[in-house]
Amino acid sequence: MIEIKVKKELSSVKETFKLDVDITIKNREFITIFGKSGVGKTSLLKIIAGLIQVDYGFIKINDQIWLDTEKNINLPPQKRKIGFVFQDFALFPNMTVEQNIAFAMAKKDKNFLKKVLEVTEIENIKHKKPDTLSGGQKQKVALARAIARKPTLLLLDEPFSSLDLETRQKLQEELKKIHDEFNLTTILVSHDFSEIFRLSDRVFLLEKGKIKKHGKPEDIFIQEKLSGKVKLTGQILNIEKEDIMYIITVLIGNNVIKIVAVEEEIKELNIGDNVIIATKGFNPFVLRTM
Amino acid sequence: MNKIKGFISKIETSGNISIVEIDVDHEKLFSIIIGDREDFLKLGKEVFVIFKETEVSIAKNFSGEISLKNQFKCKISDINMGKLLTQVTLTWNNNTIKSIITTSSAKRLDLKIEDQVTAFVKTNEISIMEI
Amino acid sequence: MFFVDTEFIQTLTITFKLATLTTLILVIIGVPIGYFLAYSKHKLKPILETLIAMPIVLPSTVIGFYFLIVFSPDTIIGGFFEKVLDLKLIFTFEGLVVASVIYSLPFMVHPVQSGFLSVPKSLIEASLTLGKSRIETFFRVLIPNIKPSILTGIVLSFAHTIGEFGVVLMVGGSIPGETKVASIAIYEEVEALNYDKAHLYSIILFIISFLILLSLFYINKKIVRADKL
Repeated sequence: MIEIKVKKELSSVKETFKLDVDITIKNREFITIFGKSGVGKTSLLKIIAGLIQVDYGFIKINDQIWLDTEKNINLPPQKRKIGFVFQDFALFPNMTVEQNIAFAMAKKDKNFLKKVLEVTEIENIKHKKPDTLSGGQKQKVALARAIARKPTLLLLDEPFSSLDLETRQKLQEELKKIHDEFNLTTILVSHDFSEIFRLSDRVFLLEKGKIKKHGKPEDIFIQEKLSGKVKLTGQILNIEKEDIMYIITVLIGNNVIKIVAVEEEIKELNIGDNVIIATKGFNPFVLRTM
Repeated sequence: MNKIKGFISKIETSGNISIVEIDVDHEKLFSIIIGDREDFLKLGKEVFVIFKETEVSIAKNFSGEISLKNQFKCKISDINMGKLLTQVTLTWNNNTIKSIITTSSAKRLDLKIEDQVTAFVKTNEISIMEI
Repeated sequence: MFFVDTEFIQTLTITFKLATLTTLILVIIGVPIGYFLAYSKHKLKPILETLIAMPIVLPSTVIGFYFLIVFSPDTIIGGFFEKVLDLKLIFTFEGLVVASVIYSLPFMVHPVQSGFLSVPKSLIEASLTLGKSRIETFFRVLIPNIKPSILTGIVLSFAHTIGEFGVVLMVGGSIPGETKVASIAIYEEVEALNYDKAHLYSIILFIISFLILLSLFYINKKIVRADKL
């Protein structure tokens, strides 16, 4: 059981607001923290890691107390068993892939190192330096390095936001595999809907420093519960009037689909909106691909 | 999207499929649903009935047997004719329903405002939404 | 070559000894100072930064003059150095080293400070989250990644020390074989109309400095390339 209670004054470019959060997480859960930019997601993650100090805080991981401001307990990041994956990868340029990962290990555990390299499929690039790697490879190394320390908690700060869609999807699968394989408890900060739906057990919706909602992804993002079994998350690319109706072009993963809608429906929709396309299982055709 | 308020009056289940009957002003609409019964599908619960405009068929002076379970009498309150498609706005008791049909059919049926017609929707085209 | 007498060689030796020793000391004290200035949020930091930057703006004679005053044996500080540490800092080689370190300090601190600031904060944070202390992070993550900045500091400090005139003259007194460096020697030879000797000093100074700088740039290139492989 992981308890996180934190209060801190934060200031963004526009305003000052208070981060006030009270979260309980079960071991081995995959949690996502979702919210717009500047809302406190990264700060919250760094507070859990011990990289940022707080006004008031209580963090308890199973039997260990990492932070208790009332009792003056504040473990530095080095003493918290965490793995942190940064948005900019943060690989050490002066070390090879293997050295980057071994850096995390107190004593070089050769067997575990080998397992980590295999699971993340980076065995073949272990002698290369970070500058020569692609974005996707760099993030794989960052992931491997974060788990090399056998952390209790894996923290990821929008780790895939700078990667292209295909790489992102592959790494999402990898992350899930790693989470399961190494029995981790994972907290992911993301604002990618498909990522959230695919990976999380629960989502915490953060707005202006406070948790507005939390629960399963379907419960949080779909405003009303609908009986239709076909639900896809996507983004509106275009809205065009055709005869007396409208055709909405939606990007769903790698696919572009077109949906018919009437005037009342499109009044509240704009290009770029994140939407859920819902229909009944009775309607679609199934066509085999080669 | 047509959205009409009603309440669940009956649920008939076989395996993983259910036929849900919804009472709308004492008239009935039927929906067929896959899967586990969602927790908002309980007898007496107030729900929205959802179906797409393109799924509403219209008949004038209808007589005979037809397999569509959802049939209800409406009055045409508005007609918006495009080149290929026509949007017909119908009034069903206190509810407004929109239907999109081909303009050629609208002309063939000689639809006019104030006409009494019968609207049809298949059970597999009706979804139920939590209020 | 009858110009190449013992005094000539002595002068050049003193010049390069001074530059090398000063640079070495500056690496040892300049890097920690640069680290402190890069990461500290201490209230007195702006004052410290300004003090360190003063040698860039002040005429060297001002620095030399104040050095004389502070370290003269009659004063408290100078007296302390002479009686307790048995270190005479006026008109001695040791004094030149101390004065040169002060005078060239910003030329080591500034590049190093910039170097630290250009290391992404996430690298430091990553190191901490991977269980390493700040000291380990300093030696294993920060220093290896600011090698070019340290090299720049070395080059600038070395070159600046060789080029010193005012400080060296006031503090050292141009004692042959002890505190007479090449930059002063050239001036004196020109005053005495010994242009040939002046030429010789200048050209040798030029060539040796050029070669040292060239090799340092070459080393820097190799470091940068090695990091990329």
